[in-house]
Amino acid sequence: MNAIEIRQLTYTYPGAERPILNGIDLDVEKGDFLAIVGNNGCGKSTLCKTLNGLIPHFISGEFGGSVCIGGQNTLETDVGQLAQTVGYVYQDFENQIVRPTVLDDASYACLNYAYQDYEQRGRQALALCGLQGKELDYVWQLSGGQTHLLALAGAVSLGPDILILDEPIAQLDPGHADAIYEVLKELNQKHGKTIVVIEHHTEYIANYCRNVLLLKDGKVEWKLPTQQALQRVEELQACNIFPPQITVAGFALQQQGRLPKTAQLPTTIEQAKDCFSQLQYRPQAEMNDKPNRQEAVAEFKEVWVGYRSVKGEPRRIFNGVNLTLYRGEKIALIGSNGAGKSTTMKLLTGLLRPAQGEVLIGGQNIKHKKAEELSRQISLVYQNPEQMFIKDSIRGDIAYAMQVRGVADWQQRTEQLLQQFQLTELAERDGRLMSGGQMRRASLAIGVALEPSILLLDEPTANLDIATRKEIMKTLNNMKQITETVMIATHDMQLVCDWAERIIVLYGGEVVADGTRDEIFGNIPLCQKVGIRPPEIFAMAQQLDAKALCYTVESFLNDFKESDHG
Amino acid sequence: MDKLMTKLSENILDKFSMDFLRNQVLKNAYGNDHTLIAKLDPRVLLAWYVFFGLVPWFVNDTVFLFGCFALVTITTLLAQVAGLVLFLFGLGVFSQTGYLFLATLLFGGDTTAILPLLLLTLKVATVSLASITVFSGLDPDRLSIGLMWYGCPEQFSFSVSYAYRMLPLLMEEFQNVLLSYRLRGNPPAHETFKGKVQYLIYQVKIIIHAFYPLMLNTAKRSRTTVEALELRGYRYAASNPQVRKIKFSALNITHRDMLFAAVSFLWVAVTMLLASIL
Repeated sequence: MNAIEIRQLTYTYPGAERPILNGIDLDVEKGDFLAIVGNNGCGKSTLCKTLNGLIPHFISGEFGGSVCIGGQNTLETDVGQLAQTVGYVYQDFENQIVRPTVLDDASYACLNYAYQDYEQRGRQALALCGLQGKELDYVWQLSGGQTHLLALAGAVSLGPDILILDEPIAQLDPGHADAIYEVLKELNQKHGKTIVVIEHHTEYIANYCRNVLLLKDGKVEWKLPTQQALQRVEELQACNIFPPQITVAGFALQQQGRLPKTAQLPTTIEQAKDCFSQLQYRPQAEMNDKPNRQEAVAEFKEVWVGYRSVKGEPRRIFNGVNLTLYRGEKIALIGSNGAGKSTTMKLLTGLLRPAQGEVLIGGQNIKHKKAEELSRQISLVYQNPEQMFIKDSIRGDIAYAMQVRGVADWQQRTEQLLQQFQLTELAERDGRLMSGGQMRRASLAIGVALEPSILLLDEPTANLDIATRKEIMKTLNNMKQITETVMIATHDMQLVCDWAERIIVLYGGEVVADGTRDEIFGNIPLCQKVGIRPPEIFAMAQQLDAKALCYTVESFLNDFKESDHG
Repeated sequence: MDKLMTKLSENILDKFSMDFLRNQVLKNAYGNDHTLIAKLDPRVLLAWYVFFGLVPWFVNDTVFLFGCFALVTITTLLAQVAGLVLFLFGLGVFSQTGYLFLATLLFGGDTTAILPLLLLTLKVATVSLASITVFSGLDPDRLSIGLMWYGCPEQFSFSVSYAYRMLPLLMEEFQNVLLSYRLRGNPPAHETFKGKVQYLIYQVKIIIHAFYPLMLNTAKRSRTTVEALELRGYRYAASNPQVRKIKFSALNITHRDMLFAAVSFLWVAVTMLLASIL
């Protein structure tokens, strides 16, 4: 029997003109590991919400066709019963956690459905999700990845046969992302759960998922085994889905006639080892710009920082950090969650004071300066753009800082910025109601409005699907001309490779490395210690030749040539 | 006055930061679960509170009131309440009656005028400290189960513990919105006295303005929460008596509770005795 059977499903949101789901037919076998891919707004999340009965029981609208879960029609049952068969983890998973402690939250649903052994079930679910030993922790003590695991545990505790996860790793660093997928793999293989993920990261699809479903305009385009699905490079790219870099490289080689057209494209590094074995590393002569470090714009001198904690000793974040940023540098600040990236930014903007040591901006100690005074020299764009929207329109938000400071021709400049960041048409909208990419662009425009000499960006590409991420990366590259010194704190190694001229690595409250991308990514022991995962194409090149340093598919194609005798 | 004004305007956003507030709220709710008070059965503590929260209003005997006041002071100390709460308590009592008491003393009021005021201050202080002991000594979850046992609707007790779960998030959100105003705003210069007053007004204005984005951001978040609550059986639980039973089974009265009740009872008895003798 199939776990999920959908026949002729159509659904229209209340008030919408066109149906978002338009005649979906789908069978998902028991024990499948299915990835749903598709353009933004093609109905992926909506489809998943029909599986747990939220549609049509909780969210009204026009519903047609049938959805059967484990043989039961969702129309004939209710959300409560379905919840025990279908577990759901939201994309904004932190809002689905409602209890203060970990064990409480994991067993909350079981208690509500009156299981006598609710606590036991909660504990088991936590163990399954790798959160043993955290039972008594408070939810705000958890890292982003652990919070996601907790949301998953909350769903697993009811013992559902089907688990649905909406973009599970969008907000996580690679270490945590792996942890999530390893847990899912185990749930799938050992416990026989059917798993459905909405996923943009095709590397993870290639490594973990069994089947891929492409949704397009509210219809099922196809459902294929992963290996076959990822071969369709052009079709996927047309839907704004980016196949693994290795597959793209293989596809490009085929196009250039360097691989036979009939050959199966590789999707993982393992497969590619054979496929690319005839390639040899012959790098082009590389231009090596020596960074020009003349004028220090910001300095940390022996900075120590600690945080208050609810119980016990304050937590130490910085242990005597020394750091100098120079004018005109494009810096990436990397390190795992909690390594002190946000702390660095808060120190620079004067929002946090060091316990010991000095922070200098433009040669001046900022100890007695207020954050307001510093804001002309230094500007911070938050990770969560919503928190930067303080007016009821984007135009108002961009103009605000210039307006209150009486900047000459602020109106003109606002228009110019709106245009520069392609926001003119959205100018009157409230920032919160825009899409992820638009929000991010707006927050960048707000950040550069005062023409600060130092611009700080906290995770500018987090939470974005890959197409939007590429768009933001383009915006960031265009911004290089209009900003002087920029520092980005990020987990996104593709961004680091493409954009940064200098990389600073934080680990355990210290700067453990500081250099160019070759110096950082070429240092394998360092990457392993700190948990840095270079882009897949870089790892691929390394597999073929340990000396190879390729950061993009293009440079891979250029730097690797067929060997003469191959 | 000038100095005080400077201090006030400098401090309102800097020292009294959201970070500090958030920390105190959390500390108050969850930071003291190892104390004697936190380990008591919430039902016993609530019953205890009914006595100390009501009786002082109707008694006018100074000795008795002093006795009660001493007892609740001890329980407050046992509960290891966060500093901010005690500060607010002090401020509250003073603003209610304390200043009248001082004023009467200053302007030469005699003991006949002071005594009723002293009584009122004592009553307010006793009842406040009893409240602090119960509501900040117990963690919100135990408190809400206790309330439920006494017949409070499930929705109410859920709200209590959910509010505590959300507070840190809300405060962080609020802090960040405030920061946006601070970083992008242009506060008036505040070297002169007039500037300082303006700066203070500016800061208060910003705090008010910051509520609008906060509300919208929260509304946006709550969409997921509402759906998740539905999926996680929140409505189911409210209509299922079995769930209440399971929740209550976590409560049990131990020797510790007996001892606490007995000591309180004895204390009150002795105070009454003293009150009748003196």
